[in-house]
Amino acid sequence: MPVKKVIETKKLNRIFKNGEIEVHALTDIDMIIEEGEFVAIMGASGSGKSTLLHIIGCLDRATSGEYDLDGVQVNKLGKNQLADVRNQKIGFIFQSYNLLSRTTALENVELPLIYDRTGQFPNSKELAQKALEQVGLADRIYHKSNELSGGQQQRVAIARALVNNPALILADEPTGNLDSKASIDIADLFVQLNNKGKTIVMITHEPEIAQFAKRMIYLRDGQIISDKVIEKRSTKAFALKELEKPVETP
Amino acid sequence: MKRFLKIFKVAFLSIYKNRTRSLLTMLGIIIGVGAVIMTISAGEGATLEVENQISGLGTNLLMIQTKSEHKAGINVRMGRPIDEKDFEMLKKNSVWMPQLSPLVAIGAQAIGPSGYKSTMVYGVSYDYFYITSRALQTGSFFTEDDVRTAKKYCVIGQTIREELFPGEDPIGHQIRIDKVPFTVLGLLTEEGSGGMQDMDDIILAPYTTIQNRLYGHQRGYTMILGSALSEDHIADAEMEASELLRESHKIIDGDEDDFEIMTQIELQEITGNITGILTILLGAVASISLIVGGIGIMNIMLVSVTERTREIGTRLAIGARESDILTQFLIEAIVLSLVGGILGIVFGIIGNQIIYKVTGFFIPTVGYSILIGFGFSALVGVAFGYFPARKAAKLNPIDALRYE
Ligand SMILES: Nc1ncnc2c1ncn2[C@@H]1O[C@H](COP(=O)(O)OP(=O)(O)OP(=O)(O)O)[C@@H](O)[C@H]1O
Ligand SMILES: [Mg+2]
Repeated sequence: MPVKKVIETKKLNRIFKNGEIEVHALTDIDMIIEEGEFVAIMGASGSGKSTLLHIIGCLDRATSGEYDLDGVQVNKLGKNQLADVRNQKIGFIFQSYNLLSRTTALENVELPLIYDRTGQFPNSKELAQKALEQVGLADRIYHKSNELSGGQQQRVAIARALVNNPALILADEPTGNLDSKASIDIADLFVQLNNKGKTIVMITHEPEIAQFAKRMIYLRDGQIISDKVIEKRSTKAFALKELEKPVETP
Repeated sequence: MKRFLKIFKVAFLSIYKNRTRSLLTMLGIIIGVGAVIMTISAGEGATLEVENQISGLGTNLLMIQTKSEHKAGINVRMGRPIDEKDFEMLKKNSVWMPQLSPLVAIGAQAIGPSGYKSTMVYGVSYDYFYITSRALQTGSFFTEDDVRTAKKYCVIGQTIREELFPGEDPIGHQIRIDKVPFTVLGLLTEEGSGGMQDMDDIILAPYTTIQNRLYGHQRGYTMILGSALSEDHIADAEMEASELLRESHKIIDGDEDDFEIMTQIELQEITGNITGILTILLGAVASISLIVGGIGIMNIMLVSVTERTREIGTRLAIGARESDILTQFLIEAIVLSLVGGILGIVFGIIGNQIIYKVTGFFIPTVGYSILIGFGFSALVGVAFGYFPARKAAKLNPIDALRYE
């Protein structure tokens, strides 16, 4: 049985125009990501990582090129259909969480289900609760977002990305605002989700976090310069041990 | 339908979770609507009041006085004063004015057994009571005979009674008007204290007495009051009086009158102009309060645009459609405008009541002021709540999320 392609892009370009100035954020990106993969995207600041992930997540549109998501030709979709794709097929996790303020964890996680048009989630509260349990926040469901730590807020955001059982989970520097310990916990959570079959694409600046993934794509100036399988994957236990090693002073 | 209910819930939650913002927005609307209702109603109330007072003067009233001209801001009397000769002539010849009375007005100090008051004293004839259709609570009017023989009798208004005879029956008692003793014969029925002029702060006495005792050696009358046979004959009466006076004053054809005749109709036109100006003035005040209220609403909405644009970005990112966002924000704006508007109406009506209780100045809450206030506030509320949201909902989700 051939493995299903979740993402396939052909000659994807993204050009930002600010008056006279044009920025080629992405140039001819060809990329295939299959079901069950866990991909880390790395690259210098400004190399186009976020731009690529936004296009993959249907938050932005490519200037040119083709993009198939789970068999759907995204570049041919209208605004409403894109919204539905975001709602049904994608769970997006932001570096800055983007939770609704003054709103409980449960309500935040429930939000994607409110906008569901398929009617497949009649018990949205239960599902939201389960998703929060899955990220280890069962005892925090009635806390408002501002009453949670950064790591907990990111877990709420992850639960929100999981709740509608999407084909694809996208995370843009999910550990960017967290300390090492919390970062490792989140990375480990991704590994567990991936083990359960979720396809995950994650941007990160931290090599030790990237090591949790199965595959690494490296971007420079809007182009893929390397794409390889990670041989020695990290684990939570290993990463924590590394963390405890004394810092070598030169 | 189920979708709509869901979005409805989202909108209500949003209003509730952002209580402070919601309350401030509503406050802007409440003040706007309330102020408009109160100012416009006050204008209407003043107009009503003035109209009441004019019709209180007697509907078929004509006032004949010496021609006056505006000079350097003051009225200067031109030509010869209207006097006894004119009065007798009109009384003899006029067909359309069966009732005529001289009016000699002076400001004077009235002293009673228990108090005193500066007031207007009108010297009039017996006909005056017919012309102005004023009636008595107790006592009697002075008679034609009293006028002819210049008796020192007077009829007083309620305000005078309260100042000079608190808690006492004034009939038969003496008061002094500028040191001259007068016997009080009657007490006028209350006209109600007007906003502009107290119609009960008045003393009526035979004009002959006033002229002889108090008016010094001035010639003529302040004016002659006449009453037309009926409302339809006011114009006839005016024409007739004009012709008679021109003839007796020997004014050649082509020359101008040396007298002025003002009728109830003209009086109403003049006061109509005045109240028109008043209404415009209050309208301006109302517009300012609307603008102030509107700016208040606008500010609160605009201050929260950044936060709300990001919120819209988040909602779009997790799969809300543009129409979902628009529905939510429209519901929020409508609910806030509606609740704020209704509270504003209540606030305006209660405000009118309080003014009535405190000042006795009746302000009818007029329907169109409610419409204007409510309409405008709803417009501002919806415009500033809905249109920024519409703009944000049309963005790429990522642009909305990044909005600064
Ligand atoms: N809205 C925009 N308008 C103009 N230029 C943009 C816009 N968004 C991104 N860019 C440009 O596109 C390029 C890629 O940006 P992108 O955010 O994808 O980088 P990145 O790899 O995610 O960087 P970082 O690691 O700092 O997040 C940058 O040069 C950036 O300036
Ligand atoms: Mg980035």
